[in-house]
Amino acid sequence: MTGEALPLPHRRPWTKLERGLLAMGLSGKALVIFAPALWLTVFFLVPLAVVFGISLSIKQFGRPPYSDLLTVGEDGTVQLTLHLSNFLRLFSDNLYVSAYLNSIKVAAISTVLALFIAYPMAYFIARSSDRWRNILLMLVILPFWTSFLLRVYALSGFMRGNGVINNLLGVFGIEPLVMLQTDFAVYVGIVYTYLPFMILPLYTTLVKLDASLLEASADLGARPLRTFLTITLPLSAPGIIAGSMLVFIPAIGEFVIPSLLGGPGTLMIGRVLWDEFFSNTNWPRAAAVAIAMLVVVVVPIMLMQRAQSAVVERR
Amino acid sequence: MAKKPQIAAETRPWRDPSAKPFVKIRDVTKKFGDVQAVNHVSLDIYKGELFCLLGGSGSGKSTLLRMLAGFEAPTAGTIEIDGQDMTGVAPYNRPVNMMFQSYALFPHMSVKQNIAYGLKRDHLPKAEIGDRVAELLSLVKLQDYGKRRPHQLSGGQRQRVALARALAKRPKLLLLDEPLGALDKKLREETQFELVKIQETLGVTFIVVTHDQEEAMSLATRIGVMNQGEIAMIGEPTEVYEFPNSRFVAGFIGSVNMFEGVVTEDEADHVRIRSAEAGCDIFVDHGVDCAPDQVLWYAIRPEKITLHRERPEGDANITRGMVEDIAYLGDMSVFQIMLGSGKRIRVTKANSLRGDPDGIKWDEEVYVQWNGGSGSVLTV
Amino acid sequence: MRRSWFLPIAASLGFAFLYAPIISLVVFSFNESRLVTVWSGFSTKWYGELFADPQMLGAAWLSLQVAAVSASIALVLGTLCAVALTRFRRFRGRTALAGMVSAPLVMPDVITGLSLLLLFVTMESLFGWPAGRGTLTIILAHSTFAMAYVTVVVQSRLADLDLSLEEAAMDLGAPPIRVFFDITLPIIAPALVSGWLLGFTLSLDDLVIASFVSGPGSSTLPMVIFSKIRLGVSPDVNALATIIIGVVALGVVAATVLQMRGRNGGRAKGARA
Repeated sequence: MTGEALPLPHRRPWTKLERGLLAMGLSGKALVIFAPALWLTVFFLVPLAVVFGISLSIKQFGRPPYSDLLTVGEDGTVQLTLHLSNFLRLFSDNLYVSAYLNSIKVAAISTVLALFIAYPMAYFIARSSDRWRNILLMLVILPFWTSFLLRVYALSGFMRGNGVINNLLGVFGIEPLVMLQTDFAVYVGIVYTYLPFMILPLYTTLVKLDASLLEASADLGARPLRTFLTITLPLSAPGIIAGSMLVFIPAIGEFVIPSLLGGPGTLMIGRVLWDEFFSNTNWPRAAAVAIAMLVVVVVPIMLMQRAQSAVVERR
Repeated sequence: MAKKPQIAAETRPWRDPSAKPFVKIRDVTKKFGDVQAVNHVSLDIYKGELFCLLGGSGSGKSTLLRMLAGFEAPTAGTIEIDGQDMTGVAPYNRPVNMMFQSYALFPHMSVKQNIAYGLKRDHLPKAEIGDRVAELLSLVKLQDYGKRRPHQLSGGQRQRVALARALAKRPKLLLLDEPLGALDKKLREETQFELVKIQETLGVTFIVVTHDQEEAMSLATRIGVMNQGEIAMIGEPTEVYEFPNSRFVAGFIGSVNMFEGVVTEDEADHVRIRSAEAGCDIFVDHGVDCAPDQVLWYAIRPEKITLHRERPEGDANITRGMVEDIAYLGDMSVFQIMLGSGKRIRVTKANSLRGDPDGIKWDEEVYVQWNGGSGSVLTV
Repeated sequence: MRRSWFLPIAASLGFAFLYAPIISLVVFSFNESRLVTVWSGFSTKWYGELFADPQMLGAAWLSLQVAAVSASIALVLGTLCAVALTRFRRFRGRTALAGMVSAPLVMPDVITGLSLLLLFVTMESLFGWPAGRGTLTIILAHSTFAMAYVTVVVQSRLADLDLSLEEAAMDLGAPPIRVFFDITLPIIAPALVSGWLLGFTLSLDDLVIASFVSGPGSSTLPMVIFSKIRLGVSPDVNALATIIIGVVALGVVAATVLQMRGRNGGRAKGARA
């Protein structure tokens, strides 16, 4: 655009105001950028800085329940007290380390499981006729719009000692399985709730797949499995990566699912943070856990983004 | 289609040294990062012209048009329209309107609302807007289509709405970006005629950007051929076609046969060129700005060459070859002839006789001749 | 299709997996007995209990209000952000803005919740505002993370929008603000509606962040539900779930039908919804 307007040819109610603002160096463009930027700085960046700051404090009675970093003495001295104890504890105490590792393990396994279940579904929808495709997509999206919490609750009801599955098994005379309060339940829970997030990116990539590529492969003598492995799978890589990102990363920090479906042995870092905060009222410790979690999560994010751009560039 | 004489075409203001140009483009350059899209272009366009910017993709023609409209600002240079410097003037404040390649009709508005949009921005009284819209609808012959939405119209109808919308504010300058590109051949021919008629009637200055040289030739009062961000040649269609100033222009417009040769005689009233490619001497019946022993090129158009079974009289502009292929196009035939030197040339001949039994056939040895004044000598 | 037996079966199993728990929820909301084991008869008494529970109703009302306000704030901010990121070419801090607005999408809820709470606490001790946590802090928090989703939705629609439509409007004399309200907004309106609905649903559904930033007396519906189901099966929650599923199903079906019908109406170049 070629910049500011000439003297405006006709009056508009905000003409004077506009000219005033322009004179002050503000333009409409600046305001459009400024408003969301300011909001995000205040409500996203600053909080992270605050978390970092408080992670260097220690638990203390009072409101708020942590020590001040800066203290002004009576003789006018300003003292900055930073405690590294929280971070040191993260490494020394086995609880945290195993919680982090366990979270990554659980998230990774769940992502792979979700991929295996979602892929045939996405493929089936992508290959369906137009009308069916819309209906099936609708069926996939519908659970997403219902409450996440309620779906996990539904799953727990399903898997209880006296729940639907066990009732069914009882009909066949099979002993009730213990499904809740296990790692298994958490896997099922994560796969169950995050499945639409895996299906949709896969579907988007698969639906763009040119059918003539598959036909060409068959024409050149490849059997269906080979065509799938050498043509379909590599070309659906962007969808696989996107879907995995949408499942793996949030799953690491999951709280609700391990809390409702997991047992005392399924330690996940989201739950640890929650307990530190709500049960132990150890806000600084929770803050340290959060910072460490951010670091743990940032690495996979960057790796996946790099994978994504690598795939895109290869085309 | 025969082109009717146009207002500017009759007066030819570009030949009058005292005429004031309507649009002055002075040394305009546009850079996008490292890419130079438009490179020091200077151009004068006169009132009432239908000027065509012709070029391939990447030639800079669209960028130049967008700078005239105000969507891009020149990196350097100035643009003046009707005496007003347009530097820093936003598109919504220019007396210029544009017809977009994709038509850009507002999908959520009816035809009438689309056309009225520009008038509403000027805050004209409702009655006046209504009258003007009706006037434009009848100009483009879409009187009964006012209430329709763009998606309910055919491609040709959408194009006419886009034109009407662009003319609504009586702009001093109308810019058209590939106006006929999306139409099929038949429609394109009809619309070319309509477009010229409208331009004549209204006397608006048109600048058309196109990559289609036939379109440019049939629409334009003058053509500006662009190549890689620069103007290769400006001239009336006859000038550009018959007297190209470079190999690029000669090759870009229509088809051409190009012979490389060396000047043997350089006189004020004639030039003789020895050409191994042609396999003969080329005699040019007028003086050319060149020097003896200079290497240059001779361009001769396919329709200017004649084919003979017996060797015609003359010591130059006659060579031999074999007919490799004949393409029958209905109205004319295109002969592909391989000369003795190995060079292939194109010769076209109108099929003025139906099913000529005596006509030249495949694999015949023929003599190829052209007139000394029919070709162009090109030094660049 | 070659492997014509595998795909439909695998897909059906997948869909069955997705829906079985939900269907059982719905079915047992009408169960006479409290248990999920035995079907003792059809009854709507749990629905009655649900509507007689002031805690649930109060929480539901609060959640709806918070969701509506947050979605609206998120819509405005998210649209501004999307416009800045798609229409403005290069400006200082562009990558920073893009990063900040997409981070909430992948950041775990617990971190977002904790960080916002700590912010509010610090702000209170420094400025005295916000005074205590409550509805306001929940709205601020929800607007922030919903904004990220709105930006994604609106950004993708804006990127698809034919730029020449906006240029044509400018060429005809409309300054940029006019172009936005006359041309851009009407055409991307469906995306704005989706964005609002997305923000609304996310806010309504959020448990973790609300738990962190809410205060006494401002319990949202998910918080109340969570405390109930932690203790075991709660049939009135089943009833609530059924109602929510019913409303959502109606909405999604209606939207899909509209979309399918819209597609048949034909589209001009540059107008896709």
